[in-house]
Amino acid sequence: MPKIKDKIEEEIQAIFTADVPWITIVWDDPVNLMTYVTYVLMELFGFTKETAHELMMKVHTEGKAVVSSGSREEMEHDVARLHEFGLWATLQRSDQQS
Amino acid sequence: MSEIEKGFFRHGNDSYVANFSDAEREVLVNLVEQIIELLSERSDNHSDDPLAAMVGITSHDTPPDDEVLLRLLPNAYADQVDSSEFRRYTESTLRQKKQAHALVMRMSLKSSTDGIVEVDHDGANAWLGAMNDVRLALGVRLKVEENSHDELALLSPDDPMRGVYGVYSWLGWLQESLLEAIMDEFQ
Repeated sequence: MPKIKDKIEEEIQAIFTADVPWITIVWDDPVNLMTYVTYVLMELFGFTKETAHELMMKVHTEGKAVVSSGSREEMEHDVARLHEFGLWATLQRSDQQS
Repeated sequence: MSEIEKGFFRHGNDSYVANFSDAEREVLVNLVEQIIELLSERSDNHSDDPLAAMVGITSHDTPPDDEVLLRLLPNAYADQVDSSEFRRYTESTLRQKKQAHALVMRMSLKSSTDGIVEVDHDGANAWLGAMNDVRLALGVRLKVEENSHDELALLSPDDPMRGVYGVYSWLGWLQESLLEAIMDEFQ
């Protein structure tokens, strides 16, 4: 009965993906100052200067960095706050290709 | 005057001070007012839906056509459907917050009689956000890219973009001075 098996697999998949956390990504931007990005990450997420600096360098050199993860609602809140301060941020499921 | 060359500097606990010339204040006021106006242009038309107005739902669910507005109010998702939904419920709040930052900056410039501007931590954050929005707007107009600074520095003296780039660079320096003054706390 392949149909039932498919259905079960689908349901299992749904359970797993429901638990997949969401992530907030900050993207590199040629205008935002490096010091500013570091400061905003410290201010909004309470990171130490060292952590914030490391994340900022990741954004700068790799083009993007994950700055937070959690529920979709939490990530939407984080993205809204980052947009308020002009950082270029998006959210997505952590298993999604960006 | 040394204060002018310093930009913002720390003045005791939780206080940052800068001393601007009249011309500098005029330029800054003009720039933040442009941001306030630009954001107002995208204000919501709620007249037909008072309930939507009450709960802050915007009439916009498509990204702005204007490149500057799109940079100030970016998409939150790569997916267009998710992005539109998010925009519908959050964009008006985002616009209000950006306008609030700009209004704080405008107010401290306008209320200063001697060119001296003093801000506390919250005021500094509003200034940083507002200065950044101005820089983002100018950056779009100047088409600033990762390695375009050398090119922009070589603009001919009669190119109108040269003056814009001058203001953009000066604002970056001013923003950096305030950041350095604040970040001293974290040393």
